[in-house]
Amino acid sequence: MRPLPLAIAAVVVVLLVFVPWLASDVMMQFAIDALLLAVLAQAWNILGGFTGYVSFGNSVFYGLGTYGAAIAMAQFHLPFWVGILLGIVLAVLCALLIGIPILRLRGPYFAIATLGLAAAMGAIVSNLPIAGSNIGLVLPLIRADTMFYELSLGLLVLCTLTVLWVSKSRFGMGLVAIREDEDAAGTMGINTTVFKIVALVLSALFTAVAGSIHAYWISFIDPASAFDPTLNVRMVIMAVFGGPGTVFGPLVGSFILSAIYEYLASSISTAAALLFGIVIVLAVIFMPRGLANMIGGVRARGPRYFLQNIRENRL
Amino acid sequence: MRHSMTALGALALLAASTSLASAEDTIKLGASVQLTGPSANTGRYYRDAYQMMVDKINAAGGVKVGDKSYKLQLDILDNQSDVNLSVRQYVQLVSSDKVNFLLGPFASNFALNDSSVAEKYQVPMVQGGGASTEIYTRGYKYIFGTLPPADDYYASTIDMLQKLDPAPKTVALVAADDSFDVSVAKGTRKLLKEAGMTVAIDQAFRDGAGEFASILSQIKSAGVDAILWSGHETDALNFIRQMKSLNVDPKTFYSFTVGVPTADFRSALGGDANYAFGMTSWLPDESLKDKWYGDASQFAKAYSDKYGYQPDYHAASGAADLETFVYAIEKAGSLDPKAVRDAIAKSDFDSLYAHIKYGENGQIVLPQIVVQIQDGKLVPVYTDKILNKPQYPIPAWGKRG
Repeated sequence: MRPLPLAIAAVVVVLLVFVPWLASDVMMQFAIDALLLAVLAQAWNILGGFTGYVSFGNSVFYGLGTYGAAIAMAQFHLPFWVGILLGIVLAVLCALLIGIPILRLRGPYFAIATLGLAAAMGAIVSNLPIAGSNIGLVLPLIRADTMFYELSLGLLVLCTLTVLWVSKSRFGMGLVAIREDEDAAGTMGINTTVFKIVALVLSALFTAVAGSIHAYWISFIDPASAFDPTLNVRMVIMAVFGGPGTVFGPLVGSFILSAIYEYLASSISTAAALLFGIVIVLAVIFMPRGLANMIGGVRARGPRYFLQNIRENRL
Repeated sequence: MRHSMTALGALALLAASTSLASAEDTIKLGASVQLTGPSANTGRYYRDAYQMMVDKINAAGGVKVGDKSYKLQLDILDNQSDVNLSVRQYVQLVSSDKVNFLLGPFASNFALNDSSVAEKYQVPMVQGGGASTEIYTRGYKYIFGTLPPADDYYASTIDMLQKLDPAPKTVALVAADDSFDVSVAKGTRKLLKEAGMTVAIDQAFRDGAGEFASILSQIKSAGVDAILWSGHETDALNFIRQMKSLNVDPKTFYSFTVGVPTADFRSALGGDANYAFGMTSWLPDESLKDKWYGDASQFAKAYSDKYGYQPDYHAASGAADLETFVYAIEKAGSLDPKAVRDAIAKSDFDSLYAHIKYGENGQIVLPQIVVQIQDGKLVPVYTDKILNKPQYPIPAWGKRG
């Protein structure tokens, strides 16, 4: 990464810190949602983007983070930070427990194995009295959108710095090597299992904290909202739209898609879901490798970049 | 980092796109309702009921505050059956659209989240779409609701069963595993215990599963007197069909929390729907007198003429939410949220839905009306007294004409 983009990114972050003093309440709601979604996309990127292991089960970590905060705060009246820690512990344990067996699966088989995770955990949680069974848990109400915003922003910065470190480190090179050719990576002395599990744990950690923040902010959770299957799809789309395996791609992808969704939902409500779908279809046809790749591609080849993608898609 | 700047620009654009001037002599009511998405089929009841009530009240001269007359204005947003979006829309309604008061969405999980917005901003919300007791156990001050608590759904039924001859002694309780039906089952267990009945079978099924063979064979071998069932409508239809095909005959009685009052239920089952008991919090009955429509049956007629489908308790409950605001605003003689909130808490009036009176926690106290399908017609049977003679005990499948 050249120094200039980093400097600009730092300036943007500093500017974003002051948003709560300028933005309206509605804007704050949108911003917190968008920041948390960006964290999910960025966290997904650590495993999905760098190793190419596409997980459709990350919302299981989100749900555990949600429940960690809710159980600590609603059942035991502990402070919020304890809830975040509990969420992290639950999610990391879960990542280790499921990562060790299923990360041995490759390609589509891994994706299929992750598909059922969120639904299974939802079913388990809805039978636990400590988690409020299927009725859900009510957290104390607090009117502190500024705090939630700054927490979300902080988390996103931390998550992005982690991805930046990953992209430059030996660890990250190992992950990319796994993506390109796992057998070759193994031959080169990379302990692929450990690398993949560490990537999954990092991903689970950030996802869980996003879940905890969301739980306290929204103040009511139930299994259906915590283990929402559509969330899996959304984070994958956002990361892939922006450019998987890059540092800023998932951020840009999630901000742009959040903004488009919000704009469509408030201006032409009935057709919003349809148009959102069209945006994604077009993106896959014209820029299957994401925004980050498109910027470079268009600079190098102009409109021919899109033609080439269409040809590669055999349309 | 051009990308981040683009994103920031998009954010700024959004902030600018929401603003609405508020006129002097209107009272703005806001709601975010499921107009598209999976819950839209029920969401429409609320949109249509709100709109119809607002039109009627405005045509009758609006709302009197002191000696000044106000017109009602309705702001309805579509939350696309997305909870996060609905929370954002309620914040928008309160903070940038500057609505005076809030009406509710459909369904308990929406009401649970959206009511937090009402409480945070201290704007009263009256909602007719969520029955879960959780909405009212948080000590919130600004949320009121016109659907009776899930725990009490079977209260009037069990009350009636004790007065019938022979009164059932053993009961099979079958409930879906979603949050609403779990609450119903929990409340029903307690009520059955108080009534001295034994729960012989207590089974939960996965919501939407549609497969009851194993539960039904347990019921059959236990030989229970009555079945109390709780879940959603498609499952209710499947349960009855499978009851018939497996020849499961409780000795005296079976009842469902949903389905029985709807016309779809009767047309789907034909003659097999007969004798089924059910419940509803509302029937379009002439005995429910109302200031604007005269009575509930005229409301139902006007509603189906205008929208082309029959209103059910969702619609009536939504209409009652509006009536509550009009009543409370006129009582308070002001638009101050706190004054109106206090007036709502003291509500005590007749509406086309029911007699409106809120409990200490903000939820309405209202017995369910026990209904039964008798010869293809829906007949109200019991509330706190017998209204029409129930066909009881229910004859076995093999002994029907």
